[in-house]
Amino acid sequence: MFEQTEILTVSELTRQIKQTLEEEFLQITVQGEISNFKPHVSGHWYFNLKDSGAVISCTMWKGYNSSVFFTPQDGIKITVIGRITVYPPRGNYQFDVRSMKPAGIGELQSAFEILKQKLSNEGLFNEEFKKPIPSLPRRIGIVTAIDGAAFRDMISIARRRFPLVELVIAPSKVQGSGAAENIVESIKTLNRKKDIDVIIIGRGGGSIEDLWAFNEEIVVRSIFESKIPVISGIGHEIDFTISDFVADLRAATPSAAMEIATPDKADYFAFINDFLYNSGQNITNLFDNKKNRILNSIGSYGFKMPLDLLRRKSQQVDGIVYKMSVNFDKQFLMLKNKLSLLSKSLESHDVKKTLEKGFVLVKQDSKFITRSSKFIPGKETQLEFFDGEVNLNS
Amino acid sequence: MTKKITKDTFENKLDRLEEISHLLESDEIGLEYAMALYQEGIELSKDCISTLKVAELKITQLKKNLDTLTTDEENFFEE
Repeated sequence: MFEQTEILTVSELTRQIKQTLEEEFLQITVQGEISNFKPHVSGHWYFNLKDSGAVISCTMWKGYNSSVFFTPQDGIKITVIGRITVYPPRGNYQFDVRSMKPAGIGELQSAFEILKQKLSNEGLFNEEFKKPIPSLPRRIGIVTAIDGAAFRDMISIARRRFPLVELVIAPSKVQGSGAAENIVESIKTLNRKKDIDVIIIGRGGGSIEDLWAFNEEIVVRSIFESKIPVISGIGHEIDFTISDFVADLRAATPSAAMEIATPDKADYFAFINDFLYNSGQNITNLFDNKKNRILNSIGSYGFKMPLDLLRRKSQQVDGIVYKMSVNFDKQFLMLKNKLSLLSKSLESHDVKKTLEKGFVLVKQDSKFITRSSKFIPGKETQLEFFDGEVNLNS
Repeated sequence: MTKKITKDTFENKLDRLEEISHLLESDEIGLEYAMALYQEGIELSKDCISTLKVAELKITQLKKNLDTLTTDEENFFEE
C-alpha cells in the first residue's frame, strides 16, 4: 500500500481506482454464463456474466454488438473480450464488451433448445396456426440472398415447373450480424404487398453459425406473424432451425421449397390431354346413343306400318298404270293398222278409176315413168292396164 | 365467348375445364349443349396449353429503402 499523505475526496479516490483498474484490465478475455440479458431500445446490451462464485455486470454498446451473429440468451456460456471500466457517479465497475462468441458449439445448441422450448410453450408451433399452401400461386415471395446458389436453384425450378408464376424477391442478408433484422424486414415488406400468395424463406447449407439467423427469436416471430403462408427451405435435409418449426411448411432445402410451392406444368398438360380424350369419347358416345335411338325407331314395327301401306298402294298404282298402258298400246296399234289399210285402199281406188277410163301406166325397172324424158327406149317395159299388165320386150 | 375466355385467369380456365369435363360425363346432357361445351372445352384447352408453353418466368426484385421502409419495384434479370 502507498502511504497516504493527504485526505482524498470521493471523486479523487474513485478517479484513482478508475485509472488503476482500467490500466490493469485494458484487454482481457473472460468466459462466463449470461444472466439477466437486456437489450435496450437504444441498441445497447446490458447483462451479467457469472459463474458459481461471482458475477460481473457487462455492457456492450450498439456499435460493437451489431457485429455479433447471434442474440445472447440467459443461461448460455460465452467468451467475451473487452475491458474493465469504472462509472464514478455510481461507484461501480463493469465489463465493457467489445466482442462476443459462444463458448462452444454446444452453447448454440443449448440456446437453440432454450428458445425452441420457450416458443413451443407459447404455442407458436401449433398445428392450428399452420396456414394452407396454395396449390396454384400467382406470385411467390422469396426471402433470400440473391448472390447465393440457393436463389439460382429456386429460379431454375420455378422456370421448369411453372413459368406462369411471378417471383417477387426480397433480397436479404441471411448470415452474420444484421441478418435476422434483414429477414424480418423482408417478411414484413412482402406482407405489405398484399398480392403475394406464398413466401419462401431460403438459404443454402452451412454451419450452425451460418444458419443462426433462422434461430433468432425476431425471425421466428415474424414468420409466425406473417399473414402469407411461409415455406422454410433452410440448409440441407439434416439441418433444422427454429424457423422450420414455426413455418407453415418445412422443406428440406430451398429447391424442395420451390418444388412444393409450384405446380408442375406437365400435370396440367396431362390433365388437358385427359380432358380432350375423355370428352371426345363422351361426345362420340353421345352421338352413338342418339344414332342408335334413331335407328331403333326406324326399325320398329310401328314405324314400318305406314311404309308398308305406302308400298302396297304404290304396287296397286303400278298395276293399274301397267294395265292402262297395255290397253292403250293395243288400241293404238289397232287404230294404226286400220288407218294404213284404209289409206292404201283409198290410194289404189283412185288409180284404178283412171285406168278403167283407158289410161295406161308405163313401168321400167318397176318404176312408173311419168315423163317422156325418163323413158329409156329399148329397155324392158311393163304397161299396166285396168285389166292387167303387158310386158314389152325389146 | 372467346373474349370472356381470354380475360379469365389460368386458374379460372382450369376450373371451367374441370366443370365441363364433369358435365360431359353426364348421360342426361342434350346434344346441342354437349357440342357447345365440347367446343368451349377445346378452346380452353388450346388456350391453357399455349399459355403454359409461351410463359416466361417473371422475376421482380423489391428495392429496399431502409430509412422510409417504402418499397419500389424494378425488373430484375438473372444472368
